[in-house]
Amino acid sequence: MFRTDLYRKWRYRLIPDHVLGEILSKRWIDNAIPFSVLTVLVVSLYFSLPGFFDAYAVGEYSRQFAELGLVTLAMTIVMLGGGIDLSVGSIFAIANFVALYCVHVLSLDPLLALVVTLAAGIGCGALNGVLIGYFKMRAFLTTLVTLIIFRAVVDMLLLRYSLEISSVFPDSELWAQIGDGALFDTVPYTFLIAATILVVAHIVISRMRPGWHLMAVGGSRRSAYNAGIKVRRTVFFTYVASGTLTAMAAYMYAARLASTGAETGKGMELVVLTAAILGGTSLGGGRGSVAKAVFGSLIVLLLSNALVQFGIQGGATALIFGLILLASVIIEVRWSKNRGKILNKVYVSPTYVRLPDSPPTEADSGSPYAVNDKLRRVDVIGLGQIEGPEDVILDSDGNLYCGTRHGDIVRFFGPDHTRHEIFAHTGGHPLGMAFDRDGNLVSCVSGMGVYKVDPAGNVSKVTDQTNRSWTSIIDDSRLSLADDLDIAPDGRIFFSEATKRFDLETWPVDVIESRGNGRIVCWYPDSGKTRTVLPSLRFPNGICIALDGQSLFFAETWACRISRYWFDGPKAGKVEILIDNLPGYPDNINRASDGNYWLALVGMRGPAIDLALQMPDFRKRMSQRVASSNWLFPNINTGCVVKFNEQGEILDALWDLGGVNHPMVTSMREHQGYLYLGGIYNNRIGKYKIPGADPDWQGVATYWGPDWRAKK
Amino acid sequence: MMTALRQQIDRFFGRGDASVFVPVMDGALKPNEILDTLEAALEVEGVDNLVSSGSRLLASSGSTLLHLDASGGPCPIHQFPDPISALATDNSGRIAVGLASGRVAVIEQGQSQPAAEISIPCPTALLFDEGDLWIASGSQSNGPEQWQRDLMTLGKSGAIHRWDTRSDTTSEIARGLAWPYGLARMDDGAILVSESWRHRLVRLPPGNRRDGVIRPEETPLAGLPGYPARIVPDSGGGFWLAIFAPRNQLIEFVLRETEYRQRMIASMKPEFWIAPCLRSGSDFREPLQGGGVKQMGVLKPWAPTRSYGLVVHLDKHLEPTASLHSRANGHVHGVTSMALHGRNGAPHLWIGAKGDGVVVVVPEKGALDD
Repeated sequence: MFRTDLYRKWRYRLIPDHVLGEILSKRWIDNAIPFSVLTVLVVSLYFSLPGFFDAYAVGEYSRQFAELGLVTLAMTIVMLGGGIDLSVGSIFAIANFVALYCVHVLSLDPLLALVVTLAAGIGCGALNGVLIGYFKMRAFLTTLVTLIIFRAVVDMLLLRYSLEISSVFPDSELWAQIGDGALFDTVPYTFLIAATILVVAHIVISRMRPGWHLMAVGGSRRSAYNAGIKVRRTVFFTYVASGTLTAMAAYMYAARLASTGAETGKGMELVVLTAAILGGTSLGGGRGSVAKAVFGSLIVLLLSNALVQFGIQGGATALIFGLILLASVIIEVRWSKNRGKILNKVYVSPTYVRLPDSPPTEADSGSPYAVNDKLRRVDVIGLGQIEGPEDVILDSDGNLYCGTRHGDIVRFFGPDHTRHEIFAHTGGHPLGMAFDRDGNLVSCVSGMGVYKVDPAGNVSKVTDQTNRSWTSIIDDSRLSLADDLDIAPDGRIFFSEATKRFDLETWPVDVIESRGNGRIVCWYPDSGKTRTVLPSLRFPNGICIALDGQSLFFAETWACRISRYWFDGPKAGKVEILIDNLPGYPDNINRASDGNYWLALVGMRGPAIDLALQMPDFRKRMSQRVASSNWLFPNINTGCVVKFNEQGEILDALWDLGGVNHPMVTSMREHQGYLYLGGIYNNRIGKYKIPGADPDWQGVATYWGPDWRAKK
Repeated sequence: MMTALRQQIDRFFGRGDASVFVPVMDGALKPNEILDTLEAALEVEGVDNLVSSGSRLLASSGSTLLHLDASGGPCPIHQFPDPISALATDNSGRIAVGLASGRVAVIEQGQSQPAAEISIPCPTALLFDEGDLWIASGSQSNGPEQWQRDLMTLGKSGAIHRWDTRSDTTSEIARGLAWPYGLARMDDGAILVSESWRHRLVRLPPGNRRDGVIRPEETPLAGLPGYPARIVPDSGGGFWLAIFAPRNQLIEFVLRETEYRQRMIASMKPEFWIAPCLRSGSDFREPLQGGGVKQMGVLKPWAPTRSYGLVVHLDKHLEPTASLHSRANGHVHGVTSMALHGRNGAPHLWIGAKGDGVVVVVPEKGALDD
């Protein structure tokens, strides 16, 4: 009909828009800008300065990198904790002097000299740490003062000992090797040492408790304190770490150059600060990483060497670095401020869907879905006592179980269901439920996974993750919205995960995307393993094992269709679509006493949203411009229950058109002649007498035989 | 060229004209639930355009002209072949009737057949002013019942006509209006016009009327959070203004989405459009918005809605001073007209909610105190 439809269909099939949002939601996206700057820099230097990357030069850079990288790491650690260390240059100078004095004048063993040097660095850092961490002085002023003090000490010491140091040439092979030795004559030892330290630091910061404490303190001091983290001690140790790393760098510098010049370490704080911020470490604390420090120091290092080779004078170099620092601070501020906004704008990424025409529902249409008022006079159970019974189930004694949004499974005592107790507390909103052969109640708990409640009410985990899919950028191994489940005769649990990209609070937003964000997953009782069996489904919801025990029916809510999947038998692995033009959004499926199946329609289709589904660009703009509470939604205020057979024919439809007693239905369960109705946004359970239904029939008996009882 | 470029840029970023900002109901328009708490005097299906002729309160219901406050309940006075879209009376008992088929008829007191008739494409409001009958025509291309189509096609072909009933001459006074839907006479002789699709009131200054079209002047009342309908003077120099539907972010967005709008109009019944309406939520095939999902069986009063009930009181400078609301969960939606009419000896404001088919009554003094 519309030429643009064909274009849209292929445009949205071929270009995966949702990837952008997923990339932006990754933590490593902060590194993207420094990394691309670095790449551009390397490529342009390679072509504009011939010989810039020859073997000798690279060796020299790697020695410089070992020193600069460690000091940048020192600065990064302090900044992560929310502080700043301006005294790194002076500590560097002190440590440089100590190392030279130990080796040249005292003729100590270089290793012993290292210990003494590090001790000097630790001492300087500890002074900063005590003043800032324990006495709560301002980091900026304190380190500015210690910068001057340490520098004065170095100047005095150099005045007295510099001649002595430079007149001696130490007779130590180890010292010389540290200075300019290299593994296989290519990789400098200092570079190897620095790389090792960086890797260890990365692991500590990103994977271990001290690093997490550091991030927490930098991110929010007060919250960290309230969480029981020792804030003062953590801050203290950031400065100690800074002093230690700076001393290590100075030791390498001393071994390499044996310089006693008064310029050593002067202005270093500015260079290092530039490197840290260029890499993307936040001045405000809490955001940064070793990788960022590495990127930042590499950029600064290459740039400063390039400026020298371009023949730019010292003053101009400082000016250029100042401007770069300014620019990177501006970018850093804008980025950290707007990143969340950009993510919000691009995360929802709709795709093209054209649903088959909806069958009529008018009362006089003669359609099997024609509206009626059969559910108007349902009895109501637990009105106001429960909130959000998505699914309901009954045991052989007629007790009724349902989940609530408070994270409980509530049991109403049969046969009258007037009294109730909290049967178990899962912690998440329990959705689909089923009994297993041993009498355990197995439930999909939103945000958590699949959990099992034994007859005594003890909750234990069945599974909360599946195999990660290869094409997914976000880690989709965790189950975020397990929805409904059913159990095969051999104990395999098949369950649906409705969507990987949204949670229970925002699930209707998934229809704005209408992409195959969901999957059907199987848990194997023998191995205890969990595997995805059907990926990329459009909000898979209800699951019901067919009476043949070899296949299951599943509903895809946003696709408005029911399919059948064979997991055993001759057709194993096949999926066939059973009904593809439902007038509403299918939810749970359960067995009926006459050998057919009940299906809940949680909401009804409307022409406005059906049209919007064909226009993904319209929905995208809507998600960006219109407040989310104003978005066009599927109409889930009205639903109904239908019955279908294995041929996909609709046999019956139950409506409450007035919407008085039970307008919204997400689930229904037949038991002894009655149909029990659940609804995820309801505060009640409905009970409907099915005319002519078998008064003895129990759903659970069709799974595990007439003798099955929930064990007491 | 620059304008076109700017429009494209605005469209991309959702700024300027592409912004879907909806004014907040605040200040004198702060939401309340007064309309829902008022006494529902009458239930009249599709009640519209209440007018008081001094002794009688008249209204229309479909194609029937009713005497609303007759002692035995609403009593039909006259049956027309087409739906009535506007009414007016004057002191002498004359009644002017706008018909959806595109005619305006004047009936003298005691007569049953029209004394005079003229053809107006879309009569939406009528006003007797001395010997003149002022006529608002909503649109050139859409009739009164197709107001949603006129809005969704960005109609701005409405006009104001003046019919000198003594000489039986008609002149067009203003044109290019976006659905004029209410008329009232101001103290200085100017005619106040509510221009629905531009969410504002404009005035046609007195004088200079005899020759040619006049340019409507802006009034302080612009940027309304809804679509204004009929206006009636109050007893103290101010006005009562009916707002027949709320503005809504999603609808504002759809108004800027040309392709979606065209396909929607081409393929769907108007009651299922993403468009304002007089009563929403009665069919599950209507569009629903996120905040309109019922939680625990309750529709929140702040839910985004396509229909609403709102009557605003304006002082003589057209500044809003008070308002009566029926919010998303209310049941007095789609107020298109009001009339000031005595009841038990005191002036009462009779409010006709066409969407819900009810007439609610409030003592005029009491309404202002709230």
